[in-house]
Amino acid sequence: MVSWLWDFPTLDEGALRALKKSFDSGYRVFSRNYGDAIEGGFDPLLHFLVWFERLLLNAPWWLVIVVVAGLCLGASRSVRLTVGVVAAFFVIGFLGMWEDTMRTLAIIFVSTLIAIAIGIPLGIAMSRSDRVQAIITPVLDVMQTMPSFVYLIPVVMLFGLGKIPGLIAVVIYAVPPVIRLTNLGIRLVDEEVLEAAHAFGAGRWQLLFGVQLPLALPNVMAGINQTIMMALAMVVIASMIGVKGLGEPVLRAVNNQYFALGLFNGAAVVTLAIVFDRITQSYGRRIQEKRRTT
Amino acid sequence: MRTVMAGVLAGAFMAVGLGTAAHGACGKVTIAEMSWASAGVAAHIQDIILGQGYGCQSELVPGNTVPTVTSMTEKSEPDIAPEIWLNSAREPIEKAVAEGRLKVAGEILSDGGEEGWFVPAYVVKQNPELKTLQAVLERPDLFPDKEEPGKGRFYTCPSGWACQIINANLYKAYGLEEKFTLFDPGSGEGLAAAIAKAYEREEPIFAYYWAPTSVLGRYPMVKLGGMTHDPKSWKCVTDKDCADPKPNQYPKSVAYTVVTSGFAKSAPEAFRFVSSFSWPNKLVNALLAWKDDNQATGRETAEYFLKNHEAVWTAWVTADVAAKVKAGL
Repeated sequence: MVSWLWDFPTLDEGALRALKKSFDSGYRVFSRNYGDAIEGGFDPLLHFLVWFERLLLNAPWWLVIVVVAGLCLGASRSVRLTVGVVAAFFVIGFLGMWEDTMRTLAIIFVSTLIAIAIGIPLGIAMSRSDRVQAIITPVLDVMQTMPSFVYLIPVVMLFGLGKIPGLIAVVIYAVPPVIRLTNLGIRLVDEEVLEAAHAFGAGRWQLLFGVQLPLALPNVMAGINQTIMMALAMVVIASMIGVKGLGEPVLRAVNNQYFALGLFNGAAVVTLAIVFDRITQSYGRRIQEKRRTT
Repeated sequence: MRTVMAGVLAGAFMAVGLGTAAHGACGKVTIAEMSWASAGVAAHIQDIILGQGYGCQSELVPGNTVPTVTSMTEKSEPDIAPEIWLNSAREPIEKAVAEGRLKVAGEILSDGGEEGWFVPAYVVKQNPELKTLQAVLERPDLFPDKEEPGKGRFYTCPSGWACQIINANLYKAYGLEEKFTLFDPGSGEGLAAAIAKAYEREEPIFAYYWAPTSVLGRYPMVKLGGMTHDPKSWKCVTDKDCADPKPNQYPKSVAYTVVTSGFAKSAPEAFRFVSSFSWPNKLVNALLAWKDDNQATGRETAEYFLKNHEAVWTAWVTADVAAKVKAGL
């Protein structure tokens, strides 16, 4: 009988195993040879993260609230929203989650900054060339769907447990929206507007920074907003490789069936998400309204 | 004629009835596949033998000591937990056994398990004095925590593991607080990866670990001395609300196979097999090393064991069951 008609023709067990083993020993050799150098290269980032976290942890709580409220008011110009945010932070502190919230805030803030720093230039590059777009799009798909532990353990083999592998995991998962929406926003800018700007003698860079990016800004803001949301969603995964913050008590709660602990800390993550979301969204909306009136 | 027919029919029905009864005697069995390798392989071996030798509809479900014991006690699900370290869940298990909800089937690790605080063998080779906890405590600089400059890092257990509570209490009792951070690796995978990373680059690491495991098989580590077990103050050390933990050490642990009383009652033959399932650490270490070296799954390792260590497992089952399992391999 022709067995391959009925059984899927697979690589035999031994060959498959040899393939997997050679991959792994290759990676081990790589990590042994270059691990120290790569880890050292990320040290400045780690120092910055540790410094920023210390700053948030050591700052008096009221100062942090004042700064957050100031940012909120400045971005949204909404007193109601600001009062809500301040109240939410009070509840978080009152329920004893201040320290973990600050740790999470620190890592989310830094990873969002990195995601923006990587994402916007990549999005611009994608919008300018269809070929770049064709290459980057599938990469983004992989980043968003690959189960995170698949790349987390190799990352841990390079960096050890802690903030840096956590940061890398968060950025890998959270950077796609800002890239996609920057690209989309620039591509959606009206052809006629571009022609007009061109006719006035605008150069490539003038066109980009003076016309395309400002017009794409609402979309870019939506991308940043989504990036922050996805970064927050990774908090628990990051805690599985030793990142401190709100994810740690959530994990502890899940593993021990402490329902209240899980609910409180989960709610704190949601609160952070809502705060970030409302601030970035109302900022984006304000930019749009300003444009309509001018 | 009619009576004969009726008799034959009745006989046939009875045979069918008996057949299903014998089959149903085992029925659906769920086995907890714990997150660590030795228990996982044991779960797969039980899965194969129960399925092929005893005609059970066995099924694996993911598990972890505390959640699994809770679920077995409260909901009688899963039926079998192949490897429960008594130290990790003594109270709930003793209570559930007294209430008749759970049954201790047998001691799966015939040598018992080992838990403790370890440093790599190469660290001790370079610094021969670092064999005791007290000596390690003097050298936080050797085990630096980059996230807390000036302090060393002690890798404890991931949350949800009973040893996390014990380590936290011992951390306090031995006065590590000032010099070392109590670092939660977040997951068992994370802890193993941290040790593997340290070994690949010969970096010092100071961590909790346990045997039998492939990690300790592949990466030789030294269990720190200078810690002694004191049964009197141990109970407090295992309590997360222990007010004043005293220095202590993990006792040599017993690891049991725990089943629900329902399973023990409804499938006595299968229960007898599960009870006789017991193996020495040396064998388990060798199996786990094979598993790692060959990147095998728990299933493949179980099959490897059944094929290559016949003398061990055939002692756990009757001859006809052994024949059925062999035929199925």
